[in-house]
Amino acid sequence: MAPHTPRRADGPPVGTHRASMMDRLSKGVFYLPIVFMMLFFALPMALTVVFSVFERTMFWMEPGFTLFAYENFIFSARLTNFLSSMYYSLISVAICFVLGFPIAVFLRKSVPQVAQHRVVLLFILPFMVSEIIRVFALRPVLQRNGLVNTTLQNLGLIDEPITALLYTHTGVIIGEVMSFLPFIVFSGFLAMEAVPKYIFEVCDDLGAGPVRRFVDVILPLAAPGIFAGCVFIFVNGLGVALLPNILGGAGAVNAGLIATQAIAALDFPLAMAVSAIMMTTLMTLLYIGHRLFDLTKILSPIN
Amino acid sequence: MTRTKPAAVEVRGLAKHYGSVVALKDVDLTIAAGEYFVLLGPSGGGKTTLLRTIGGFHRATHGEVLLHGREVGHLPPDKRPTSMVFQSYALFPHMTVMQNVGYGLKIAGLDKASRRDKSAAALDMVGLQGFADRKPHELSGGQQQRVQLARAMVLDRDILLLDEPLAALDAQLRKDMCLELKHLQEKVGITFIHVTHNQEEAMTVADRIALIADGDLIEVGPAREVYRAPDKRFTASFVGENNLLTGKVTAVSGSEVTVDVAGEAIKVDRRGLDVTTGQEVSMSVRSELVRMSLGDTDDARPGHALMGTYNEAVYLGLTTSHLISVAPGCEVTSRVVDDLDDLPAHGAPVRVYWAPGDLRLHTS
Repeated sequence: MAPHTPRRADGPPVGTHRASMMDRLSKGVFYLPIVFMMLFFALPMALTVVFSVFERTMFWMEPGFTLFAYENFIFSARLTNFLSSMYYSLISVAICFVLGFPIAVFLRKSVPQVAQHRVVLLFILPFMVSEIIRVFALRPVLQRNGLVNTTLQNLGLIDEPITALLYTHTGVIIGEVMSFLPFIVFSGFLAMEAVPKYIFEVCDDLGAGPVRRFVDVILPLAAPGIFAGCVFIFVNGLGVALLPNILGGAGAVNAGLIATQAIAALDFPLAMAVSAIMMTTLMTLLYIGHRLFDLTKILSPIN
Repeated sequence: MTRTKPAAVEVRGLAKHYGSVVALKDVDLTIAAGEYFVLLGPSGGGKTTLLRTIGGFHRATHGEVLLHGREVGHLPPDKRPTSMVFQSYALFPHMTVMQNVGYGLKIAGLDKASRRDKSAAALDMVGLQGFADRKPHELSGGQQQRVQLARAMVLDRDILLLDEPLAALDAQLRKDMCLELKHLQEKVGITFIHVTHNQEEAMTVADRIALIADGDLIEVGPAREVYRAPDKRFTASFVGENNLLTGKVTAVSGSEVTVDVAGEAIKVDRRGLDVTTGQEVSMSVRSELVRMSLGDTDDARPGHALMGTYNEAVYLGLTTSHLISVAPGCEVTSRVVDDLDDLPAHGAPVRVYWAPGDLRLHTS
């Protein structure tokens, strides 16, 4: 990895060229993000795919073409784990949607407009604590003699502690919901912008109940935003290694953790192959979503 | 053979409080069936609150709403014989015009064919035939409001509530739409209750007008009467362009009251009001009834004229307003149709006068 060196080290412009220099500089500023993204995002992504077909050596890899890493991924427990992590990510997405989207609707519908953004701000507060600490703090809550189990036992609701809460898929799902719930609130809040101001009252007037209102009005209008939020959570559920690392256990891993483990085992082509497969999954999802809902609509106001 | 029909809307002691804020205080109001009724008043005065409480979008703090003689306080909007047209932003953006209009019928469980027929008829009524397959964003503001009208009327409820329906339209379009609303109401014959803060709009459409300000129902009357013979001081200040004069009562004799305005004894009809000597009262006279003269004139009768100094002329196209200062902080406007070629100089002494009977006394 090349160290990041500042690209424009121009000193303060001198003499009469000052104005035109500033002009050109300020125009260049708009290209900087593109250059940055090409250099540090698009290029590494492409390289990931290239590296995934390289030959593995003892500590690194050498140019070549082999599908061994993919074979290794597909004909092992890794594929099963990958597929099950997709399945459990979907469950997390569903739980996040059910818990989070009503919050977004409530925000738009019942909170006065001036206060809405302040309430949204509340959902940013969890990010003030480092994710690793937030996730790790779940352990004393969920573990065998943790807060949940002792409380339930003291209340006499259970006799034996529930061990399925931690080091299992359940634990990972709880962690994912906790970490990603704000994102469905944010994207839902944005998505609800597509729903005109008086629509709920019109629904009241026409007699559209909650189900009709949701299916006929909110869902079609907010679909692009909802989809974007869901994809975001799904991809993170698949890719963030931290959660299964701390909360998961045997079999309760995700693609991110598989890749991390491959790196730890110095099997770089395998790590690259897992990443490439994840990228492909995401691209496919985005393509499907775009064909279905036209994702460009997310940020454009209605009319 | 006549049968007394219950009023379309009867509101009794209706109040709405938001915490400590009183949006509406003990309003009593009766609106006859088939009437075009306008709630007029300044923004934030409570007229929209009243309309929404009638429609069932708010629950009243106390008091009751009767629609066609039936108490409806417990009913949600869709169970009331009312339907609502909102200011704007109230169409389903993802549905076509036809689907928008037919949605209420779909909920009511009508089959597709009768939904289409009824919606088409409603669109026809508001002059939108041929627009059935457009999406709302392809329509102008006026057309969008027509779709709302069609959507509300297709439900066959017999009280139509309009919450500032023309506020988002530009002035010319608003004028045209006003007339159309009026004609539409005459054609369908159902009760229209229309909220607006625009008095010209109110005058155009209304059979009767209720003035609402600060949560109070100030005055109710036929449009013409509210304009020509306002009862309350607020009505005079809000409707038309009235000159308001204030002063102390110096004498009351029979039906004539004498009021001291800036040192002049002004005579005004008592109108059966309760007035005593020494009381502070207000009087109003419409600016188009005020005449102005530079010298002495026989038309200016004592007790119906004031001396002042000329301030300036405001040219308004059809009319010109002459502003005359009659006392410190008290300016009288005289509005005339004909252009004066030579305007009085600023500060020139002028006399303003009016016909006896044009000045109205207000005690509240």
